[in-house]
Amino acid sequence: MKLGRKLDYGWRLFGTAFSFACFGIGGVLLSLTLFPLIRLVSRDKDATRRRIQRAMRQSFRVFLWEMTFLGVISYEVSGGERLAQRGRLIVANHPSLIDVVLLIALLPEVDCIVKQALWRNPFLRWPVAWADYTPNSGSAEELVESAAAKLRAGRSLIVFPEGTRSVPGQPLQMQRGAARIALAAGVEILPVTIVCEPSTLTKAESWYHIPPRRPNWKLLVGDPLLAADYAPAGMPEALAARQLTQHFVNYFSDSTGAAARAGCGAGAAMASTCTMH
Amino acid sequence: MDSKEDIHNRLKAVLVELFEIEPAKITPEANLYQDLGIDSIDAIDLLLRLKELTGRKIQPETFKHVRTVADVTEAIHALQLSEAAAGSTAPPA
Repeated sequence: MKLGRKLDYGWRLFGTAFSFACFGIGGVLLSLTLFPLIRLVSRDKDATRRRIQRAMRQSFRVFLWEMTFLGVISYEVSGGERLAQRGRLIVANHPSLIDVVLLIALLPEVDCIVKQALWRNPFLRWPVAWADYTPNSGSAEELVESAAAKLRAGRSLIVFPEGTRSVPGQPLQMQRGAARIALAAGVEILPVTIVCEPSTLTKAESWYHIPPRRPNWKLLVGDPLLAADYAPAGMPEALAARQLTQHFVNYFSDSTGAAARAGCGAGAAMASTCTMH
Repeated sequence: MDSKEDIHNRLKAVLVELFEIEPAKITPEANLYQDLGIDSIDAIDLLLRLKELTGRKIQPETFKHVRTVADVTEAIHALQLSEAAAGSTAPPA
């Protein structure tokens, strides 16, 4: 390995460790300071939720700025103007650990489904409850109903139909919960394709398994669609959920493949719509 | 009172209708979740449909222990038996 590359690798390894520490320590500090303060000064549950969600967004923006500044990551967004509209189900593929950080940072106010471990975390359980995020516990039926009710109330929600991070090189496996939520809510679905090149922060990797060069995330916001377009009226919902989920699998298989081949920053067709960060 | 075979055939028809599962895959040994690709929300739809058909309500608690097609057949059969024993042999409304 050449000296320059060694230095670059060492710097990024340090930057990655620093970023993980920032995320952990920052999360605890915010849970003890800013988030309880917001809770105290907000008059009701709804005001608390909106302010906490916006504070989450700003914290994640700072965190992304820190990682970009240190040169640990870079990211680019195409079609980002579509993220401004609320009340949509944001459906994304899930290649890496920071996908949700990117999405929350880019969306004005957004709900997400949070795994059980966070609701037991002594620090983070309060902010996730104040943000009124949806717990991934109880029955699947309750989860779908509660998520759909939030969407019908005009809130946006991020769902990763894969349920967990993708396995690189394997065909996408998607569960039908996202489609069930879309069918129950009847709101627009906004597909966001996430491509991380080179692949990093997957389920199988620890934080110190950093890639040979700085990873770049591309977020490609697609055209909104309606669940009803993939399910004729009167079709049993279980079948409709299968068809819509199959559409998601096809859509994301094509879009991730195309994005990986074309390259967002370099591709001629995409270059005009990409914003580099 | 229906034979287990009757119940199995009706269950098969429901699985094809609701989830478009290939009939050949629906054997008594087939695992609902792994072999037939049913998820937890589908299971709720299945319970509702079975209730409409048989007029008998399988408790979600019972259904938690169900793994295979034969387990569902058994559960419906057991319900019918217990109702027959209780004297309520009247056909479902």
